Amino acid sequence: MTDRHLLAMHHAEVSVSVELETPDVTLNLGPQHPSTHGVLRLIAKVDGEVITEVDPVIGYMHRGYEKLAEVRTYPQITALVNRIDWVSGFANEIPFMVAIERLMGLEVPERARYIRLVLTEMARISSHLVFLSSYPLELGAATPLMHALRERERVLDLIEGVTGGRFHPNFNRIGGVKPAAGAGSTQKKVIQDLPEGFLAQTRDAMTNVLSVCDDMEDLVVGNEIFVERTKGVGLIPADRALEFGVSGPNLRASGVGFDIRKTDDYLPYSRFEFDVPVGANGDCFDRYMVRFEEIRQAARIVIQAVDTMPSGELQAKVPRVIKVPKGEVYVRAENPKGEMGYHVVSEGGRGPYRLKIRSASFSNISILPWLLEGQLVPDVIAILGSLDFVLGDVDR
Amino acid sequence: MTASPSESGAAQVAEKYAALVGADSSSAEFGTAKIKVPAARWVEVHRTLQAHLPFFSWLSAIDWAAEVAVGDPPEEGVIERYEVLSRLSDVTTGAGLIVSTDISKDTPRIASLTGVFGGADWHEREAAEMFGIAFEGHPHLTKLYLPDGFVGYPLRKTFPLLSREVKPWPGTVDVEDMPSSENAEAGDEPEAEA
Repeated sequence: MTDRHLLAMHHAEVSVSVELETPDVTLNLGPQHPSTHGVLRLIAKVDGEVITEVDPVIGYMHRGYEKLAEVRTYPQITALVNRIDWVSGFANEIPFMVAIERLMGLEVPERARYIRLVLTEMARISSHLVFLSSYPLELGAATPLMHALRERERVLDLIEGVTGGRFHPNFNRIGGVKPAAGAGSTQKKVIQDLPEGFLAQTRDAMTNVLSVCDDMEDLVVGNEIFVERTKGVGLIPADRALEFGVSGPNLRASGVGFDIRKTDDYLPYSRFEFDVPVGANGDCFDRYMVRFEEIRQAARIVIQAVDTMPSGELQAKVPRVIKVPKGEVYVRAENPKGEMGYHVVSEGGRGPYRLKIRSASFSNISILPWLLEGQLVPDVIAILGSLDFVLGDVDR
Repeated sequence: MTASPSESGAAQVAEKYAALVGADSSSAEFGTAKIKVPAARWVEVHRTLQAHLPFFSWLSAIDWAAEVAVGDPPEEGVIERYEVLSRLSDVTTGAGLIVSTDISKDTPRIASLTGVFGGADWHEREAAEMFGIAFEGHPHLTKLYLPDGFVGYPLRKTFPLLSREVKPWPGTVDVEDMPSSENAEAGDEPEAEA
């Protein structure tokens, strides 16, 4: 036996004894990692395969919107709030607009409210399609992505056709939606409504979305590996979820059937029939399946809304210079990621005195230190992905 | 009224919980139920409310200041203080409530809610670094967003927006009044592009 062999054997023995002692090791995950959906860093202490402590480090995307809002006028803030959760930019605008309209006492025309509702639900479909296809990818299944992104592109094309933007529509105006085509003063008089054929194309797109959901359900839920890796993993009990402010599909997966679309009247949801899917166990699998069902319900709402779309004005009459009366209001909305709300404090000026932005992902991942403690290292990616967060929505 | 914020519903919510915890005052303007409690009872009030409003939505603060480095100052007669706010919600009826308290600027400290709502952890860390409020009893009140060693409290009204100091924002041009548009209501004109 050569010295080299002896040395190798010696090393092997050493490494075995080290593994048995299992001292705490600090494991760094991110900030640049595909599973973190942006720049999230987790500093984990691991004892063997088990995580004993996690410290999430956020703030890499912090843009200070709450401070910026104090030096912007209300119409300008629309462009900022688009960029909070960029996977569903349109939905971010809604609670902000409704908050300003409440303070000003504006009556938004019915057609504008319906257009808002349709585009919000389409943003939800687009956001959930990204989650439903990228989450299996993180667990090793690449095929669903190809199916979902094709349909998502069609939905985004429709949003772009109306608003001019795929991700950052900046389409809402205080008192309604953007009524005039842009591009210079000569075109300002040309009133822009929904593009021709939008309603029929939307109905077709929804049929396609429903059929791709069926395909994907076969692909993913029929996949034994996927089910094994998600069932019973990352359990969040209902009381924990409430205490941490976990909202949206993550909360409903834990068995709490709370949906702001059913309780608050920020858009005319009460006129449409839809169900609120609820999970039983609060594990990663439930969080996945709840979003599956939510896409189907969203498509159901969109089809009902385009069938009953009223005609009429697109924007209420508003002053040229928007001044908001003194007062404070909190308006929340059921966004794809959960409760998104704006607490607007006005002192009567053209911009808010203080704007507090409540974003869903921030609270949703604030549960991570509690949730990841005691979990296995290979489950971390499964749990992170199942919460469906966007770092722009965490950091604001 | 947009999205009919049931003002009467909010008033009922505000009155009900104001009576339950013995609040100083309650309001329900613009459909936003809010109660005011003394800072000394902050934790106790939340512990009582948790049984009725178990969903912890957010916690933040407002810097009420007569002199501001950014934006417009508030109307005259403002009392210098930090207002700390938390928002709780019910998950069956959807009733929501803002709990508010005032703390002095000389001693900006208040008891931490982390023992009641686990979710208060990050919200308090954010409010601490942005407003310089000490949350007593918080297990690790370190910086959340800002880099370690950052000096100042960005959301205080005395904190200037440095980029704006160096170079005026080009967007300010939109903010100025249109010529001869004093009190002009845009009758059939669409709103000016922002």
